[in-house]
Amino acid sequence: MDIFSKFEPLKSRHDLVLKLGVDPFGVTFDDIETATRGRIGNRQIVLAGTNNYLGLTFDRDCMDASINAIEAHGTGTTGSRIANGSYEEHAELERALAAHSGMASAVVFSTGYQTNLAAISTLAGPKDVLFIDADSHACIIDGCRLSSAPTIRFRHNSPADLDKRLTRQGKIEGGIALVVIEGMYSMFGDKAPIKEFVEVCKKHGAYLYIDEAHSFGIYGETGCGLAEEEGVLDQIDFISGTFSKSLASIGGFCLSRHKGFEVTRNAMRAYMFTASPTPSNIASARAALTKIAEKPALRKNLQARAVQLHSGLEAMGFDLCAPASPIIAVRRPNEIVAATEWNWLLENGVYVNLAVPPGTPQSSSLLRISLSAAHTEKDIDYILMTFEAMKNASEGLMAQVAELMAAAQ
Amino acid sequence: MSEPTHKEIFDKICELLVPYNPKNLTVTEQSGIVSDLEVDSTAVFDLIMGLEDHYDISIPMEMVSDIKTVGELANAVKQLTLAN
Repeated sequence: MDIFSKFEPLKSRHDLVLKLGVDPFGVTFDDIETATRGRIGNRQIVLAGTNNYLGLTFDRDCMDASINAIEAHGTGTTGSRIANGSYEEHAELERALAAHSGMASAVVFSTGYQTNLAAISTLAGPKDVLFIDADSHACIIDGCRLSSAPTIRFRHNSPADLDKRLTRQGKIEGGIALVVIEGMYSMFGDKAPIKEFVEVCKKHGAYLYIDEAHSFGIYGETGCGLAEEEGVLDQIDFISGTFSKSLASIGGFCLSRHKGFEVTRNAMRAYMFTASPTPSNIASARAALTKIAEKPALRKNLQARAVQLHSGLEAMGFDLCAPASPIIAVRRPNEIVAATEWNWLLENGVYVNLAVPPGTPQSSSLLRISLSAAHTEKDIDYILMTFEAMKNASEGLMAQVAELMAAAQ
Repeated sequence: MSEPTHKEIFDKICELLVPYNPKNLTVTEQSGIVSDLEVDSTAVFDLIMGLEDHYDISIPMEMVSDIKTVGELANAVKQLTLAN
C-alpha cells in the first residue's frame, strides 16, 4: 500500500484544476513590488487577494522597524519564550496591545493559527463546553479538537441559535461555557452581530472569545475591531488576532480583560513549545500598531474602496455574499466555473483568491477579493473593468468549462 | 414524548439528507455519509444541526468525527435521546 494512495481523490481533483493553467493553490509571484502589485513573468498583476488590508507591508516606517530590529537583535530568536527567554520587543508589544485595547492581558504568538489553537485548546478544559459558530475558521476547529472539551456548533451568526443550544446544554457541572465567534468571517466578509452575542453570553454566564483576525485594524474608532465598533470591547473576555493581515507581519495575539489569562502562558502548548516571533516580525507589527492608532485615514480609504468595488460588481449583476466590506466574495455556480474564471482574471492582470468546498460556507465556490487601503480608485476601476471583460468573455469561458466537465465525468 | 425508534431516526436522517444528495443515491444503514453519499464535511454539520434541533439533543463535534455511516449516526442519535 502506497502511503499517498489515500490522497488519490484529492489528487484527481487537483489535477483537474491544473488543466486550466496556473495552480490556484500554488501561485508563485516572481516579484511582489508593492502592497498592491505583483509580477508573474513580464505581466504586472493587481493584487486583490492578499488580506493586506492596510497596505502596511511596504510602509517605510514598518520596513525600517524590521530592518533596525534585525540590525539590533539578529534574524531569529532560535527558541521558545518559556525555554529560551523573551526579547524586550515581545514584552513591549504585549504592553502596547493591552494598552491600545484597554485589556488586562496580552499574549503574543508565532502565528495567528497558533494563537487560536493554543488559546482555545487550553482555555476549555474537560469539564467545560465549547460553543462555536458553524462557519468557524480551521484554526478554531483545530483548537477545539485539541481541547478536551465537547464542542457544540451553532448556526452561523445566529445569537438566537446559540441561546437555544446554551439553554439545551443547561447547567455545566464544575465547568464553564466558552463561546467562540469571529468578528468578520474570512470567506464571505460578513460580520457577527457581536452586541447580541454579548447579551446571550451574559444571560447564560458564558465566556465570549472573538477572533478579530480580519477585523482588527480596520473597524472601530481606534482600529480594535468590530467589538469596539459595536461599543462592547470592554465586555469581551478574549479577543484574538493576527499580525499577518492589518499588522503587516506574521504572528498573532490574544487579549483578555482578565488578568488571570497570564497563567495560561505556562499551559498553552502552541505557545510554550514553538519558537517565538523574530525581532523583525515583532518590530514591524509594533510599527503597524502605531499606524493603526494614528492613521484612521487608512480605514476610511479602505472602506471607500470596498464600497466602490461592491457597488460596481453589484451593478454588473454579480452575486455577492455579503454587504460591502474589505472582503468581497463573488459567488459562482460551481468550482470549475470559478477556477476557469480565476485563471482568466490572473491572465488579465488581477489576482483574487479561489475558494472552493469544503473550505467554504454553504459549499460555495467563490472568487474572493480582499482589498487594501493602498488600492487607489483607479485600481478598483481596473478590477471592475477586468470583471466586466470576464463577463463579456463568458461564452468562450463556458465552452472551456464544458470541456473540462466532460473530461471530469 | 416517547423515545424515537431506530427506524424513525433513520427515516428522519434520510429526509434531512435529501438536499445533500442531488444524485439521489440510495441510502442504507451501511451508506458512508461522506464516502458513499458524497456529502461534504460542511454539509455533514448542517445535517447534524438539523438532527439536534429535531430531537432537542446536542451531538458534540468529536462524536461526529467517529460517525462514518448513516446507521452509526442513527445509533448515536438514539443513544443521545435515551440519555435526555
